Amino acid sequence: MLTQAAETFRSLAPNGVDWSSIAPEIALGVWALYVLLREAFRKPGSRGAATFTTIFLLLFSLLCVRNAFAIPAGASASFFGGMIEQSRTTELLRAFFLFSGFLTTLLGGTLLKKQGVPQAEFDVLILLATAGLMLLAQVRDFILLFVALETMSISMYVLVAYIRHSASSLEAGIKYLTQSGLSSALLLAGIALLFGAAGNTALPGACADPFSFRELRVFIFLNQGNAFVLGGAALVLCGLFFKIAAVPFQIWVGDVYQGAPTPVTAYLGVASKAAGFVLLVNVVTGPLLPLRGVLLPLLSAVAILTILFGNLAALGQQNVKRLMGLSGIAHAGYLLMGVCAAMALNVDWPIVAVYFYLFTYLLASYAIFGVMSVLSGEDDSAQTLNDYAGLMKRDSFLGGILAVSLGSLAGIPPMAGFVAKLFLFIAAFTAHLYWLAAVGLFGVVVSIYYYFNWMRVAVFVPCKTEDEVEAGTLKAAPIASGFWLRTVLTTLALITVCLGFWQGFLAL
Amino acid sequence: MQDILFYIFAALTILPAVALVFSRKSVNSAMLMILSFIGTAALFALLQAYLLAVLQVVVYVGAVIVLFLFIAMLVGAGSPKLAKRDFRNMALASGVFVLLSLFGIAAIAKTGVGTDALPVSPASSAANFGMILFTKYQLAFEITGFLLLAAMVGVIFISKRPDSGDTTTEAE
Repeated sequence: MLTQAAETFRSLAPNGVDWSSIAPEIALGVWALYVLLREAFRKPGSRGAATFTTIFLLLFSLLCVRNAFAIPAGASASFFGGMIEQSRTTELLRAFFLFSGFLTTLLGGTLLKKQGVPQAEFDVLILLATAGLMLLAQVRDFILLFVALETMSISMYVLVAYIRHSASSLEAGIKYLTQSGLSSALLLAGIALLFGAAGNTALPGACADPFSFRELRVFIFLNQGNAFVLGGAALVLCGLFFKIAAVPFQIWVGDVYQGAPTPVTAYLGVASKAAGFVLLVNVVTGPLLPLRGVLLPLLSAVAILTILFGNLAALGQQNVKRLMGLSGIAHAGYLLMGVCAAMALNVDWPIVAVYFYLFTYLLASYAIFGVMSVLSGEDDSAQTLNDYAGLMKRDSFLGGILAVSLGSLAGIPPMAGFVAKLFLFIAAFTAHLYWLAAVGLFGVVVSIYYYFNWMRVAVFVPCKTEDEVEAGTLKAAPIASGFWLRTVLTTLALITVCLGFWQGFLAL
Repeated sequence: MQDILFYIFAALTILPAVALVFSRKSVNSAMLMILSFIGTAALFALLQAYLLAVLQVVVYVGAVIVLFLFIAMLVGAGSPKLAKRDFRNMALASGVFVLLSLFGIAAIAKTGVGTDALPVSPASSAANFGMILFTKYQLAFEITGFLLLAAMVGVIFISKRPDSGDTTTEAE
């Protein structure tokens, strides 16, 4: 009886149902449940599962990198009736999201202790959000896309407001909730319009499954002028622009980045933005590619505005988290340049350049946010540039990490950030997007000003208490930070420098 | 007949929604939302999507709005001091909305929708719905479970009183 039921069920299931294909995501979900249960039944005073969660995420990330290189380049496999597609790229993206999850829990361990808030729920939400992001890297279907995106968003709403006693964290939570809710609504409306048009059997090439990227692409190719197709495509892009914080959907960035706990800010700025770009790349080079003629000018205009807005807004910032957020908008602009080039040329290597840039951005951003969470006092939303005065003298190790990472973000030659930017500019030039590249260059020059200003404060401006230190009234307080955090920050900075010299594995 | 009903139900959906946006009292807003949801349910019924219509009434009107009302009462039905209406921003937002709508209508009028949608056989019986949900979309369905888990953990965490938050680390 049971076996018969199982047989029937199997015969109904779509082709290629293979749960082992998403084993890493399942493991993350199960681990999240374990952390919750362990927290519920934990004896007071005993240790939680936080350390294991961090190690678990790191190991899984390394495992995914290993798996990625076991897959031959160019090969891909579909699962769950074509809803999920896996290749070397998606495997590397999985590793990317796992790695940023690992770094976030690591920074969380440092910061949450200072703030006096529990860590178990933080880890659970990071695990669930990471699982959602890993799925996003592989989806080829709008239903799954939306569900995975919302899993990530809902976890992020809570994480942004995680410091319950801090007014700025709660404010950031509310702002992120309303804005992100609006963007999800736009995305959903766009998906519905595309679905409605593609399911209309009276139109040429109507799809049997109007959510699937592959079928939609054929349909959109046949119906390029259809008002519903164009409107739907525009709304889908609006929803994604919010995730990558492109102009005109960038207005939430300042307050949310400042108010959120620092590790969450890092996760928002790196992992969530990267997911937005992965989706954008998959959508504009997948189902929406036939609309290239309309979308390329649109995306270029958005990229230009984004680069200009991000850099000019970051120029006068004193609060470091705002500075990172606003300059992050500018980075989204450079990345959009790569996406435009990929669309215009219709080849893969600009996409590789985009992903490489995201990886260097991860290294540099997490190193800076790591330094930030070490330095932060009780209120981590109020750090200004002045708090970094004399950092090099107080703790030359943290100062060094900061200098390397800022250099990488600004795109200074020995660091990885320079090479990554160079790839994107080469892509834009090859695609004849000269205006875009010119604005990008202007933006990079402006960004050097504010990144170097930060470096100048850390290196040359004397620390406020220095006079007293010299007078012998006050000892310079040593900056406390864990051994593992220091090790990881060193590793990040080292990789940043190494990738500046060697990028052979990319094989553009 | 169908057309007339459509316009009636469409008005029932949109007008309360507009009133909802402009209403200053949370309980009134919730009540207006009920009206709007009933209008949507009627539109679903008109499209022969009976299951959706029933679900709309049961889930949204029956459960979600009741929760809204609970919250409104917990927070305090006594109207909090609201900021003054900012007519300039309202006018600006409405202006943008009207412009975009006109633009959309003009675009559709110019290119045309192509053709009218053909009626399809009602695929909305509960059996069909369940069949698709648990076969084709089983993965999405499973992920939704984790989505709800994240929401639940979040709500419990955020609504926990801050002073009781430390008991996990301090209780001996």
